Amino acid sequence: MVGFIIIVSVFILAMLAPLISPYDPNNIDVKAILLQPSWQHWMGTDGLGRDVLSRMLYGGRISLLVGLVAVGIATAIGIVLGAISGYYRGWVDTLIMRLVDVMLSIPSFFLILAVIAFLTPSIWNIMIVIGLTSWMGVTRLVRAEFLSLSSREFVMASRTLGAKDARLIFTHLLPNSLTPIIVSAVLGVAGAVLMESGLSFLGLGVQAPQASWGNILTDGKEYIQFAWWLSLFPGLAILITVLGYNLLGEGLRDALDPRSNNK
Amino acid sequence: MNNLNVSLVKNTLYFICAIFIASCGKPNKDSSDYNKVYPSQTGGMLIDATIGEPSGLIYMVAGESAAAAISGNIFNKLLKYDKNLDLEGELAESWIISPDQKTITFKLKPNLKWADGKALTSDDVLFTWKLVTDEKTRSPYASDYQLVKNAVAPDTQTFSVTYEKAYAPALDSWSGLQILPKHLLEKQDIHTTTFARHPVGSHYYKLDSWTHGENLKLSRNPTSVMGQAKIDKLVTRIIPDNSAQFLELMADNIDSMGLDPIKYSRIIPARPELQKKLALYKELGNSYTYMGFNLKHKPFDDVRVRKAINYAIDKQEIIDGVYLGLGINIASPYKPGTRWSNPELKPYEYDVKKAKALLKEAGFVDLDGDGILERDGKPFAFEIITNQNKEREKSAVLIQRRLKDVGIDVKIRAIEWASFISRFIKTGDFDVVVLGWGLGLDPDQFNIWHSSQNQPGQFNFIHYNNPKIDALLEQGRLELNPDKRMKIYHEFAKVLLEDSPIVYLSAGYGLTAIHKRVKGIDTPAPPAGIGYNSHDWYIPEQLRRIEIGRNEIAEK
Repeated sequence: MVGFIIIVSVFILAMLAPLISPYDPNNIDVKAILLQPSWQHWMGTDGLGRDVLSRMLYGGRISLLVGLVAVGIATAIGIVLGAISGYYRGWVDTLIMRLVDVMLSIPSFFLILAVIAFLTPSIWNIMIVIGLTSWMGVTRLVRAEFLSLSSREFVMASRTLGAKDARLIFTHLLPNSLTPIIVSAVLGVAGAVLMESGLSFLGLGVQAPQASWGNILTDGKEYIQFAWWLSLFPGLAILITVLGYNLLGEGLRDALDPRSNNK
Repeated sequence: MNNLNVSLVKNTLYFICAIFIASCGKPNKDSSDYNKVYPSQTGGMLIDATIGEPSGLIYMVAGESAAAAISGNIFNKLLKYDKNLDLEGELAESWIISPDQKTITFKLKPNLKWADGKALTSDDVLFTWKLVTDEKTRSPYASDYQLVKNAVAPDTQTFSVTYEKAYAPALDSWSGLQILPKHLLEKQDIHTTTFARHPVGSHYYKLDSWTHGENLKLSRNPTSVMGQAKIDKLVTRIIPDNSAQFLELMADNIDSMGLDPIKYSRIIPARPELQKKLALYKELGNSYTYMGFNLKHKPFDDVRVRKAINYAIDKQEIIDGVYLGLGINIASPYKPGTRWSNPELKPYEYDVKKAKALLKEAGFVDLDGDGILERDGKPFAFEIITNQNKEREKSAVLIQRRLKDVGIDVKIRAIEWASFISRFIKTGDFDVVVLGWGLGLDPDQFNIWHSSQNQPGQFNFIHYNNPKIDALLEQGRLELNPDKRMKIYHEFAKVLLEDSPIVYLSAGYGLTAIHKRVKGIDTPAPPAGIGYNSHDWYIPEQLRRIEIGRNEIAEK
């Protein structure tokens, strides 16, 4: 519940950014560089005199968008591959599972760094790359669900009645394995938000002048003893959002999964 | 047993004493008057820090600023620049230029010695010249010395070089070559020799120890050919992060560091306790930031477009916003106030109207009303690339905004240094760069502007090609008369400004904080910068760090 409230409020704030931002997030004011938080600038100003609160709100949109799209891509790939693997088994299964093993054996952050180094860093590339490198968990999950569901009575019954593959997959297997997929997707968003912040922090993510929590944090790094507000607010925002997604994911699992409900 | 007890008691007493001194030392020190005048004296230790650890201390091979800072204290050069940036002898006592201006003969000072006691002779100088020009050395500084057709050392005190044709920057080049000992390096592979980590020089200091990843310790060289420096020990700590260095400076664990404008004019002035112990120095820096066009790309081949962009950028805003006012607007690639800088030139003022008119003249009009200009149906858009340098990135953001005002759509991309050079600069795959150039003491900028210097890896990567500039640069290299030479470079800067192949953004100040315990520093900084007399800096005994425990352990 707490997770849900956190995520919904973060979403509302990000959605309403154009309405509630006190300033244009890219409005430079060289006369107001590194001002402390005050009534005029609730979260102070950055190294170019831009309002940090406005940049945080707009940056939130980027972070959330990256999280959702990246996880959307990863989940879509994961479902397709997992379903094929779990349903048809045999050599297709072996092939896909070995691919998963190979992908999992490479540390994903370094894989992403390597890929980004060859592309123009942009928000779309980041989403796609994060998506393309984080589908393995979902694939395994869907495959496992399919394997266990395939031997359940209602699936066997449907099969004996002559149902085609597509019908079996889309009306019986997939809907019944949705719960773990949703839970893992929600937890995945938290990971993607962190990943985007990390990449932007390293200067490989969202490019100037666009704001993202990660690159506000980088700006703050240099002046951490002096301009604490540049590090504190984006840091807190990342912390709260990631925490929110984790709580939401766990809450969903408790609510939807009958096995954990018993406890 | 007794002995043990005695030593135990002694040690305990020492320990208590140390704690006592340390605990009352702090407030004592803080209340000690750093502003008082103390007589010049020898001794003490100066600690500074470096971001990067040098790869070795043979500068002609290492080529990094980290190496230069330290090896400059260990090795001598033939010539050096004095306080007012005039050349004077360092190892050389005098030098004579032949009437045809092709031969320079240096006479070394008598009785020169290496730190190991061996004699330093013209043979060492000849050896160093051979080494730096040797293909196998692959020195980035070779080109200046390769122009020497013939070098000889007729006797132990004379060294003479002959050039193919008169070469004006020749003297300057001999103020850059650190002389190495032949007797220790002959028959050694310069790239693998242990000498790089155990150098033997002739200058004020010698290397005592080098702890990898931690520090380099130098102590006074008793046989220094230049006389004796005042401070006994120089310690350079390796602290790879700027913020961490600043923490160490605040905690009094290092004595000096270079500052950025925010630390200089915001953080330190806001803290009385730092102001009390740190002296801030500001000197015109040795570099400038510019925005350079890839002149092979359209529409930057059109001088009207380049001028329009120059007018559209508010340089004062960059100086105020990025450098917090600690920079100046320049109109030539020379340090303002020096002889090479043409005082008649004025920077392009910020003038949106002129910019718009020039763009219109060049055929750019906003036809679809989206606020972005078009020509031949294509919107005027380009990408500025820069390395991941905060000041340059900020400058690019300010440029982006100003160019949007005149209808140009700019994207910014900050790239890590190694791939910035290899993928974009060397391949010429860029529209516009924001970068910096050093302001050398010799006015020759052949490498940067001459049309022959545009191969991959060379410095004219913007592909500037102007026969007038080429001719002036060639002339300037041959002219040894300083006044005539000055006129050539004044003309050069004028043509360059008119042609606007780059936009001068700002020449920043070099900002340094040095602990007030260090005395003898010239203020205001002379043209050569505050470091020129660092051998005369001293630390009065009363103001030195209390190092009892640490020193004894270190020496045992």
